[in-house]
Amino acid sequence: MTAVGPHVFWITSRAAGIAAMMLAGGSLGAGLLIRSRGESRRLLGSDVRTLHEALSLATLVAIAIHGAALLGDAYLHPSPFDLTVPFTGAYRPLWTGLGIIAGWGLAALGLSYYARGRIGAARWRYLHRFIPVFWALGIVHTLGAGTDAEQPWMLLAIGLPTVPALFLLLARLFGSPDAGPPRRRPAAEPQLSGRRG
Amino acid sequence: MDEARKLEAKGLARARSRSRRQRVATIRSRTIRGSLALFAVLWGVVFVQLASGNDPVLSNEQRAEGSSAAATREPTPAEPAREPAPEAGAELDGSEFELEGEARPEFERFEAEPQFEETVPEIEEPIVTTSS
Repeated sequence: MTAVGPHVFWITSRAAGIAAMMLAGGSLGAGLLIRSRGESRRLLGSDVRTLHEALSLATLVAIAIHGAALLGDAYLHPSPFDLTVPFTGAYRPLWTGLGIIAGWGLAALGLSYYARGRIGAARWRYLHRFIPVFWALGIVHTLGAGTDAEQPWMLLAIGLPTVPALFLLLARLFGSPDAGPPRRRPAAEPQLSGRRG
Repeated sequence: MDEARKLEAKGLARARSRSRRQRVATIRSRTIRGSLALFAVLWGVVFVQLASGNDPVLSNEQRAEGSSAAATREPTPAEPAREPAPEAGAELDGSEFELEGEARPEFERFEAEPQFEETVPEIEEPIVTTSS
């Protein structure tokens, strides 16, 4: 048996990182369903938006725990600077740097939802489309720097929410009839753009 | 629209609003509980994996030490060993990885560098001997 006491922070960071990627995949999938039209949306209804928001916030909390837990790790003992500024840490700087960029990107674009009244709904919607880029960076970080990246259970855990999200993303990008944005009435657009909060 | 119908419509709207708020609260609480459960399960999986000696990093180091090709490998900052591996050829029963909290500083990855420097004079010594 290995003594796990000294590794508690490391275990916590690993678990939070994997949870973050799973939640991010679920959140992305839910987000893509919000603006899809057809059977999937009819079945799930407007609750998907609530689910998307809750999963996004849970993802950001998991990312924060993933990084913060490493501060307590006596082996790596990174500084807050190492964990927040990309490519400055000593441990696999490229992969961890990509993860830091992904974390900041997801946090900035995700939380911008609460400032969409200030930045404008149209501009926010445009920026929100870049979230999959940071999600993909997160996956690259997971596979490149993840301690468990080659473990079958880990690949299965990440793949379960990632594959459907990827399918929905590709369907959106390549214009599947069930995944395109719903048609809007022209009159509704100015009301949405002017909405604050 | 008469007064009774107005009141009925208002009541219906309130009921819908209440039902919507309840649904939102249910989804949020389920997501929070689900996320916590997911984290707990993953924590448990990693914990058991590590405690049982099947951790990818620790067991890789163990295997590396067992093979002659990897026996000379020094832990590098890019790929640090989390714990010291037992000597080559030693019986591995998992007790080699028992650690005390105070022992952790011994495994600082930057301690690999002095070990490397120490080996340099050993190589140079015979050369000096033969040339003289």
